[in-house]
Amino acid sequence: MTETRSHRLEILIGTIATGLIVLALGLYILFEPARVQSAGQDILHVQLDDAMSLYAENCAVCHGLQGEGIGSIPPLDNPALRTMTADDLFKTISRGRFNTAMPAWSQSDGGPLSDYQVNEMVQLVQFGDWNATKDRVVNLGLAPLVPFTTEPDPALFEQIGSLPDGAILQTAIKIFAAECVSCHGADGLGTKIAPALNDPLIREKTAEELNRTVTLGRAGTLMAGWNNVLAPEEISAMVTLIQRWNEIPLGTIPAPNVPIATTTESIAKGSDLFIANCSRCHGPTGQGTPRAPALNVKSVLTTTSDQALLQIITNGVPGTAMPAWGNRMADADLQAIVGFIRQWEATAPEVAQPTVGVGGPPWRQAATQTVKAALDWRVLLGLTILLATSFSLVSIGYTELVKK
Amino acid sequence: MTDELPPTPEPSIFERMRTRLTPDGVPSDDRGRMRMVVDSLILHLHPTKIPDRTLRWTYTWGLGGLAAVLMMVLALTGVVLLNNYTPAAPQAYLDILELNSNVWFGELMRNLHHWSANLLIIVAVLHLIRVFITGAYRPPRELNWLLGMLMLILVLASNFTGYLLPWDQLAYWAITVGTSIISYLPIIGNWLTRLILGGPEVGPNTLLNFYSMHIALIPLAIFGIMSYHFWRVRKDGGLSIPKSLDESESGAEIKLERLTTIPNLVQKELIYAIAWVAALLIFAMLVPAPLESIANPDLSPNPAKAPWYFMGLQEMLLHFHPLVGAILIPGLVILGIFLLPFFDLNPRNVGVYFRSRRGRALTLLAAGIALIATPAWVLLDEYLLDWTGWLPSWPSLISNGLIPLLVITIPLILLDDWVRKSFQADTEERVLFIATFIFTAFIILTITGIFFRGPGMALYLPWNMPTH
Repeated sequence: MTETRSHRLEILIGTIATGLIVLALGLYILFEPARVQSAGQDILHVQLDDAMSLYAENCAVCHGLQGEGIGSIPPLDNPALRTMTADDLFKTISRGRFNTAMPAWSQSDGGPLSDYQVNEMVQLVQFGDWNATKDRVVNLGLAPLVPFTTEPDPALFEQIGSLPDGAILQTAIKIFAAECVSCHGADGLGTKIAPALNDPLIREKTAEELNRTVTLGRAGTLMAGWNNVLAPEEISAMVTLIQRWNEIPLGTIPAPNVPIATTTESIAKGSDLFIANCSRCHGPTGQGTPRAPALNVKSVLTTTSDQALLQIITNGVPGTAMPAWGNRMADADLQAIVGFIRQWEATAPEVAQPTVGVGGPPWRQAATQTVKAALDWRVLLGLTILLATSFSLVSIGYTELVKK
Repeated sequence: MTDELPPTPEPSIFERMRTRLTPDGVPSDDRGRMRMVVDSLILHLHPTKIPDRTLRWTYTWGLGGLAAVLMMVLALTGVVLLNNYTPAAPQAYLDILELNSNVWFGELMRNLHHWSANLLIIVAVLHLIRVFITGAYRPPRELNWLLGMLMLILVLASNFTGYLLPWDQLAYWAITVGTSIISYLPIIGNWLTRLILGGPEVGPNTLLNFYSMHIALIPLAIFGIMSYHFWRVRKDGGLSIPKSLDESESGAEIKLERLTTIPNLVQKELIYAIAWVAALLIFAMLVPAPLESIANPDLSPNPAKAPWYFMGLQEMLLHFHPLVGAILIPGLVILGIFLLPFFDLNPRNVGVYFRSRRGRALTLLAAGIALIATPAWVLLDEYLLDWTGWLPSWPSLISNGLIPLLVITIPLILLDDWVRKSFQADTEERVLFIATFIFTAFIILTITGIFFRGPGMALYLPWNMPTH
C-alpha cells in the first residue's frame, strides 16, 4: 500500500522536476538577449569606473579635472575624439604622440598601464561621463592643485631686473610661470610629478646637459622636448635660470590660492575624519574648546585660504599642541578635511562659543559606543541561538548517557 | 519437392534501423522483457537485487549518487566552457567577460559549473560524514574509505585549481593565500610552492599549470578512482546494513526483503538526479557566480582570504604557529581519517546511525561542547591570550605553537577520559566522540573565517563589516 503511494510520489516529483527544467530553460532563452545586452552594459560601467580612477592617477594632472585640458594640453571631453576609432585611440594612448608632452602609457612601451587598462581609457574617452570623472579625481585627492600658469610677484620680478643679465632671467621666469610651474612647482621646488629645479644638485649640471634635456625631453618620463614650443634663445634663458636659481628670492613664482575642489562624498569623508581626529580639541562642530581655537568662525575662515589650511594641517603649528597630520593621512584625507572646514564659512558665527567640559575622558566615550554596538539585537539573537543549541545538545546527550 | 517459400518482403530501411538498435528485437512476452532487464548495462553497475533497507532515503540521503550527478554536470558544463577560454594571463579574464556579455547561455554554463563545484564539496563532505557515522568504513570496506578520502582531496584540488581560472581579483588573491599555506611545509614547502606556481608568485605560468591540472589531470584521476569506487561498493556487498537491528532490541537477525534493482533503485536514482538538476539549474539562473575586477598583483584586497573551504585552515593560522596550525594539526587529522578503518575493527552496528544509543548521546554531547568551546577559544585568543607576549624569549614554535596546542588537547584528552570512565564508552564510541568534536570545531572555525574576519583579519560582526 505505502509502497505504491511512495512510488507514485516519486513519479510525481520526477514529472514536476522535468517540467521545471523545460519551463525554466524556455523562460531563460526568452530573456537571454536582454541579459546579454545588460551584461555588456554592466561590464562597460565597471570598466568606466576603473578608467576614472586611472584618469585621476595618471591623466588629470595634464588633461585637467574633467578632461577640459589645461593650457596647451588638449581637452578630452571632445566630440571629435569620440568619433575616432577605438584602434586609433588605443595607439595614441599606448604609444604616446611624437613631439608632444604625451608619453607612451603601454607597458610594452615602458609605461605603467596594461593593455586592458589602456582599453579602459579608450572607453572613457568614447563613453565616459566627465562630471563623474571630476568627482572621482576630487575624491581621490588628485585634483591638480597648482594651475598650469601663475603670475610672478611684481615687486620681486622688478628686483630681478637689476641682477646681472636680469632681462634674461625675467624672460625665463615668465616662461617658467607660464609653462613649467604646473609640474615643477612654485619657485621650481618640485611637485609629485616632476623634480625640483631650484636645487643645488641640478645647478651643478653643465649648461650643455641642461640645454639638451629641455630641448629634447627625457625619455621614459613626462618631460617633453620643448624645441617646437620654445625658441633656442628661450631655452638657453631657461638654462640660465636653472643654473642661477639661488639668486632668485623665494616667492617670485608663487603658488596662487586655488580653492580645493569638493564633492558630497569628500565632505562626508572630511566630516568623519574631523570627528575622529580633530573634534576632541577643536570641538565636535569646530566651535573650539579650551585646548584649541575655534575653526567654525568667520574671523578664521575668511582670512585663511584653502592652501593655508592645508599647510597648517599637513605640517602642524610648531610650539602649539597642533600636530603635523601630513605623515598620518593620505592627501585625499587632508584635502577632504579642508573641504569640510571650508563649507562652514557660509554659516559660521562672527564670534565662537567654545564648549567647556563636555564628554569626559575619551575611553569612556568610546566604551559606551562599543557596548551599544555590541548589544545589537542580532548579537543577542545569535548568542541565544548558539547557547540554546549547545545547551540542548549537551543536556539531551547527557540525560541519554546517564539514563542507562 | 522444391516448394518455394513465399518471398518474404524486404524490410524497409526504417524497419532495419529499428531492429539493429535493439539487436534482439523488442520483446513481446514477459520472459523476453525480463531478459532485456537482466541484460541491461545498468546491471554492470548495480546488483540485480538489493536489500529493501538500503533503498530508504533517510539512510543514505542519496549523497554518493548526488556527488556522481554533480560530477557529470561539472564534466559537461566544463567541456562547454572550454570552448570559450584561453589559459593566458589577461585574456582569460576577457574571455569570461565575453562569455557573460556575448555568448548565449554562457553565463548560465559558468554559474552551473561554479555552483555545482561548490555544492560538490559540501556533498562530498556530507557523504564522508554519513559513511563515518554509520560505520560503513569497517572491514571489508577499508579500501573504499581510502579511495573516497583520496577523491575528496582531488575534489578540493579540482575546485582550488578552477578557482584561479577566471583571473579576477578574487581568484588571484585566494590562490595567493591558499598556496602560501603550502609553503609552511617544512623543508620542501618553498620548493613545492614554486613548482605549483611555476615561479615565485601567482602569474601566467600558474594559470597554465592550474588549467592543465583542472581540465586533464585531476578529472582523469577522479573518473578513474570513481569507477573503482563504484565497483568496490558492489564487490564489498553493496551498501552497509546492520547484521542485527539494534543493541536495545532482541538482537535477532533481521529478515531482509530484497527488491529488484530495475525499476526500484533505478527509478529512484533517475528521479533524484532530475530533481537536483532542476534545482541546480534554477539556482544557477537566479544567482550569478561572482566575478570581480581583473587580477591586479599590485593591489591586494584587505582582508585577502583563501577559498571558503580553506578558511578553517586560514583561521588556524591566526591562532597557531604556521607549522602547527597549517601542517601539524591538519596533517594529523587527515592521517587519522585515512587510518580510521584500521584502528576501529569492531564489526558490530555497521549501518546504524551513531552505532548505538550511547554513541548518539556522545555525538550530541561532543557537538554541544564544541559549539560553545570553539567560539570561546577564538574570542579568548583574540582578546586575552598573548603567548608570544608573555613568553618573549621562547621560540614562537613553542610559545605560539606547542603551548596552545597542549592547552586545547589536554581538555579534549580529559573529556575523553571522563567519557571512558563514567559511561564505559568503547573505542568506536570514543572515536565518534572525538571526531565529532574536531569536526564541529573545524566547521565553526570555517564559519568564523568566512563571515567574521574583516580587514587585517580582525574579528567583526558580519553586519558591521567595513566595506573598504
